[in-house]
Amino acid sequence: MSLARKMTDLPTFLAYSVVMEEEAAERHDELADVMDVHNNPDVAATFRKLAHYSRLHAREIREQSATLELPKIAPWDFEWEGGEPPETADSDEVHYLMNRAQALRLAMENEQRAHDFYAEISREAPNAEVRKLAAEFAAEEREHLDLLIAWREKIPESEDEPLIDPDPAHMPE
Amino acid sequence: METAMAPVPPRPKDYKSDIKPIWCPGCGDFAVLSAITKALAFRELPREDVAMITGIGCSSRIAAYTGVYGFHGVHGRALALAAGLKAARPELTVLVAGGDGDGLSIGGNHFIHACRRNMDLTYVLMDNQVYGMTKGQASPTTAADWTRSKLTPHGTGIRPFQPAAMALTAGATFIARGFSGDPNGLAKILVEAIAHPGFSFVQVLSPCLTFRPEQKDWKNAVRSFADEETDDPVAAAARLQDDGALATGILYRDPRFPAYRSRTGGEARVADFEEAFAL
Repeated sequence: MSLARKMTDLPTFLAYSVVMEEEAAERHDELADVMDVHNNPDVAATFRKLAHYSRLHAREIREQSATLELPKIAPWDFEWEGGEPPETADSDEVHYLMNRAQALRLAMENEQRAHDFYAEISREAPNAEVRKLAAEFAAEEREHLDLLIAWREKIPESEDEPLIDPDPAHMPE
Repeated sequence: METAMAPVPPRPKDYKSDIKPIWCPGCGDFAVLSAITKALAFRELPREDVAMITGIGCSSRIAAYTGVYGFHGVHGRALALAAGLKAARPELTVLVAGGDGDGLSIGGNHFIHACRRNMDLTYVLMDNQVYGMTKGQASPTTAADWTRSKLTPHGTGIRPFQPAAMALTAGATFIARGFSGDPNGLAKILVEAIAHPGFSFVQVLSPCLTFRPEQKDWKNAVRSFADEETDDPVAAAARLQDDGALATGILYRDPRFPAYRSRTGGEARVADFEEAFAL
């Protein structure tokens, strides 16, 4: 049975949604930190901004859930396809020489997955309330994706070149 | 009138420090840090009741990135330090962490004796099959034919250690293998390892994408152990013969052997020792 079909009640759906946004924020924070440490401030700032947006979304969902008691689900009991929430960036898709365009491309993939996650629930969940809210969330993720595309288009082509480190620290010896 | 507030359960990030890790982007150790903090939050352990003892190497820096008590110790000696701490402060939850070089080369002897001593420690060995901090030399778990290091251009020519098999033969009473690509699955293993009343060994496949970029493919090769955990060391040994060293989950758990405890519970005074050892 697909995860979407298991979304039988609003609290479970919201528990998944909150964790998805919070974990996305944490991963973006982590990537921002690592880019700071590796002296890539532009990409660090990009990930920091993405973390901020994820946190805002998580807060909105928490506020929507204020009158409900969300189930306490252990991290490993979430049935994410692939083990991690769909909006969480793949940590092995980053490099210390990545540029802003690459960071945004990664973020776009995450938003697309988040959109697809909600869209599937909006079609297949057995609960009408869940389907309705999931459709709203899917539309929001689509908006986020459009914003990222617009942001990406503002970056000059010249900044799309891979960064170069003339003295790489990571030479095998 | 005062109203009692329900205690807020700890969150994983409550167990992280403010120090930014200096690991390379894409390093599997980030996920191990995440899994450890999730496990501690799930068990709701007070930070002041947990200690993280580490050796030397990239992964051993993890002590600084957690918000529990930490000791970033001496190369290969994390288990010795942790054993001393546990003997003196048996009420603490003591986690030990490090890499394959730290734990199986210079620390190899401490490892096998920690297994047989069965103190209540949880040892997380982050295995990337390379010395990353010193720029990519072969470690005790590197395949014999790995040729990317200038020090071993024809490969080491010697067979790698199998950490889980070593732990089993040395007497560890809890043995598991996790994968950094599945931090939530790893967190579940760590919860069980911490709860185990004895020495628990968790080998974590944690890729080094800088010096072993081919390890990115582990996410396509790692799978769960075909069978449920066992308390039969013979069955566990048989499983390790054909698992390709990439199967994950809890392999072996045997609660029959009591955890080693200091007879005095860490309360002995110098005078007690003088009396006990008086000629």
